Amino acid sequence: MRVLATKLFVPPPRVQAIARPRLIRKLDDGATAGRKLTLISAPAGFGKTTVLSEWIAASRITDPDLRVGWLSLEDSDNDPARFLTYLVAAMDASTALSSDPTLSIDSTMTSLINEVAQRSGRMLMVLDDFQLIENAAVRDAVTFLLDHTPANLHLAIASRSDPLLPVARLRARGELTELRAADLRFTTQEAAEFLTAATGLALTPGDVAALEARTEGWIAGLQLAALSLRERTDASEFIAAFTGSNRFVIDYLIEEVLDQATLEVRDFLCQTAILDRLSGPLCDAVTGGSGSTEMLAALERANLFVVPLDDQRQWYRYHHLFADVLQVRLLAHGIDHANELHSRASEWFEHNGAPEEAVRHALAGSDFARAARVIESTVPAVRKSRQDTTLLRWLALLPQTIIDRRPVLRVFSAWSSLVAGDIAAVEPQLASAEQQLVSEADGPDHESEAGEELDSLPVTIAMYRAAIAMASGDILAIRTHAQRALDLAAPDDYLGRGGSAGMLGLAAWSGGDLEGGAHAFRESSSYLRKAGNLLDALSTTMVVGDMLLGLGRLSEAQLGYERALLEADGHPPTADLHAAVSEIFLQRGQLEAAADHLNAAEALGASAFSHEHRYRWSSGMARLRKSEGDLDAALAHLIEAQMQYRRGFFPDARPLEAMKARIWITQGRLSDAGTWIAEQGLKSTDELTYLTEFGHLTLARWLLAQKTPESLDEALALLARLAQAADLAGRDGSLIEIFVLQSLALQSQQVSALAPLERALALAEPEGITQIFLDEGEPMLQLLRDAAGAGIRPEFVRTLSRALRATDESGPASPMADSLSDRELHVLRLLATGLSGPEIAHALHVSLNTMRTHTKHIFLKLEVNDRATAVRRAESLGLI
Amino acid sequence: MTHPPAHGGAEPGRYEIRLHGQLDQRWSDWFEGFTLTNESDGTTTLAGPEIDQAALHGLLRRVGDLGLTLISLNVTNPRKEESHDEPTP
Repeated sequence: MRVLATKLFVPPPRVQAIARPRLIRKLDDGATAGRKLTLISAPAGFGKTTVLSEWIAASRITDPDLRVGWLSLEDSDNDPARFLTYLVAAMDASTALSSDPTLSIDSTMTSLINEVAQRSGRMLMVLDDFQLIENAAVRDAVTFLLDHTPANLHLAIASRSDPLLPVARLRARGELTELRAADLRFTTQEAAEFLTAATGLALTPGDVAALEARTEGWIAGLQLAALSLRERTDASEFIAAFTGSNRFVIDYLIEEVLDQATLEVRDFLCQTAILDRLSGPLCDAVTGGSGSTEMLAALERANLFVVPLDDQRQWYRYHHLFADVLQVRLLAHGIDHANELHSRASEWFEHNGAPEEAVRHALAGSDFARAARVIESTVPAVRKSRQDTTLLRWLALLPQTIIDRRPVLRVFSAWSSLVAGDIAAVEPQLASAEQQLVSEADGPDHESEAGEELDSLPVTIAMYRAAIAMASGDILAIRTHAQRALDLAAPDDYLGRGGSAGMLGLAAWSGGDLEGGAHAFRESSSYLRKAGNLLDALSTTMVVGDMLLGLGRLSEAQLGYERALLEADGHPPTADLHAAVSEIFLQRGQLEAAADHLNAAEALGASAFSHEHRYRWSSGMARLRKSEGDLDAALAHLIEAQMQYRRGFFPDARPLEAMKARIWITQGRLSDAGTWIAEQGLKSTDELTYLTEFGHLTLARWLLAQKTPESLDEALALLARLAQAADLAGRDGSLIEIFVLQSLALQSQQVSALAPLERALALAEPEGITQIFLDEGEPMLQLLRDAAGAGIRPEFVRTLSRALRATDESGPASPMADSLSDRELHVLRLLATGLSGPEIAHALHVSLNTMRTHTKHIFLKLEVNDRATAVRRAESLGLI
Repeated sequence: MTHPPAHGGAEPGRYEIRLHGQLDQRWSDWFEGFTLTNESDGTTTLAGPEIDQAALHGLLRRVGDLGLTLISLNVTNPRKEESHDEPTP
């Protein structure tokens, strides 16, 4: 987005301004006392801007290193993206901040505040004309700045009305300096000083008092009075007539001033009053004349209403108050004339690379056809900089008949319905636009200009249809439309390709095809990267990571996270990545490493997370606490996660509610869990889909916990079907859990559980997945003992038993334990099996006596008295 | 206003705005087509068609933008017999 330097221009002190030490002192005192905010709140014409520029000039003398930022706000700054771009530019912060439109408002503000805080000198930041700000997001951004003001920053806000900011709070805390109309108005002495200087006349104290009374110290009034008086010889007569009149001060005085001006000046002023900023060439175009550059310079010299906006005297603006009065005079010539002037201004701005101002004037002049054309041409650029608010405002001002003739705008209108949640209104608009595109055989049946936007419109339409399908959960339709979008997209339409590949990925994911989903998202990521959107490209890591976990491919997921963390290099989505990667370590039983990542995410601050992934930190903490055995803390984090969870487009494959129910089951709160299961309508006979898999596994756990013969049978039947579905889709991650639950169910039925356990172990061992076994406690330890006896995956089983014992009995390690000989360790492993003494001796090819000697030494070193305790001790010490 | 309008503000109403100083009829277009009447006490009364709350706020903003002093705002709904006459601060 182009930044207009004129909006950031710090106005120099006025030549004719009189010194106002009482006000400057008050402002200085506030800033010196470390107050956060100076608020100058008074109606138009009270010299708010002037007093600020005087203060800045004075402050620069006392502190030559003072940095000053100035932002003259406009109506268009109600777009958060635009406001932030200007704020960053005004605060002279790194342009990288504003050039990344994908950052959230909070994270941009945080980076901006951090950057300012790290600077050595003080900074004064002025927001002028704050009354124009109505957008809540923009106000929130300023409130955020006030809540986090670094010590070296002072904010000054000038506004015609009190801003909707937490002013009362700042006032109560003594963090606010205020200047209001009563402070700003000229005192009699100031009025006398000013009038004498400005008119060069020796006015009597009576004249001065009369003028001061008539204008009530209103500076704009006194300035105009001075202008009117300048050329007069009959000062007292003028003052008598003015003070004797009841007419509105500005109305009366501007009339006076204009009456004294030449016809040429009068016409120029009225015709150019429609412009927010004025330059010679622009004014020439609007007035149809020449010599505007000289005219503006002359107006400035004569102190007639114009304020310079740069040092080169290229751009000026009228004092707002005068522009209003001048426009009323212009309107007296009829609205058509005013509209014609707006159209000329619009044309000039369009040809001089300022489409936004071209649109504004076209709309102001009711030239909707022109406005629509310019809006259409600027849609790609405006959308790229995410100024959606601006586009929506424009669209709302265009008549429907105009939008209907332009498919590009119509499709955009469909999008605005989509984001507003008015799903039903989307398709009719898409269908009409599509119809207009199709009937192009005998010449276009619409007014949209040929170009990139029109060419890619079929892609856009297909994408929006996929989005509607997404909203209604119609997976088949998502796939159809997304595939169509991908097929239609030009090879170099990376954004279109990235978006449609992502949609395909979501469709696959929702349908349980995790392999296909992960592949599509990787493709989407590479397109997004080519489109220059690194943040969105890196954010697919979490999505792909979730799917790889379902596939049981932890190493692959971890590699993805590690690469993304390197590439993000501390910038977003670093916090999201840290929070999400913790689950991989948790599944591997590496609780400390998981905690490290969660801490790293937390250290970046709440604003470092994206909205969609904010909940991941809390759900990660819940998993960590659960693994640590602190179930109450886990529940608290899950409730926190539920508050942060945003549904978005991602399928909710592992609902937080189900995670809560699982904790209740572990806590023995079976009726609470049962209520939830009933609410969800989950039954063991349901048709199984991927999106309900996690819920059904929770149901299986609940049935297991009942431990009745019927419930165990029911659980096993459900698990068998779940296993079949997961196996078909290759979801090894799900299979591990299913097999674990099967083995626990069989164990409860006191039949051999080794077959499913072996399958679970076989899938888990290569990826080091341990926590799912460890979470099951004592029953799992028993199962593992049996597995060890049967010689199943001995190394992995030993690792798991060791970890399980360590969590069960965290007694001190025996000092002797390390000194067990290889032979003794061998005996110990055999003692853990069901073999009898003679059988062990036989297996070792030694006599029974020798075996007993070994056993005695083992008992001694482990400080135990019997075989069973020795085995448990050995397990907890990790010896077997 | 100390009493909210009986219709809750969602429906349009008729309002009368009094300003300090005298403005002539030329300002009518600027103030949503309201009629401007100069009163003998040096004030101006703006009266006009029914407008909704958003339009009323827009009108008041224009008053403020010109630095005009607002003296009072009255509801003058013809349907209502009682007249509200509370000056706004």
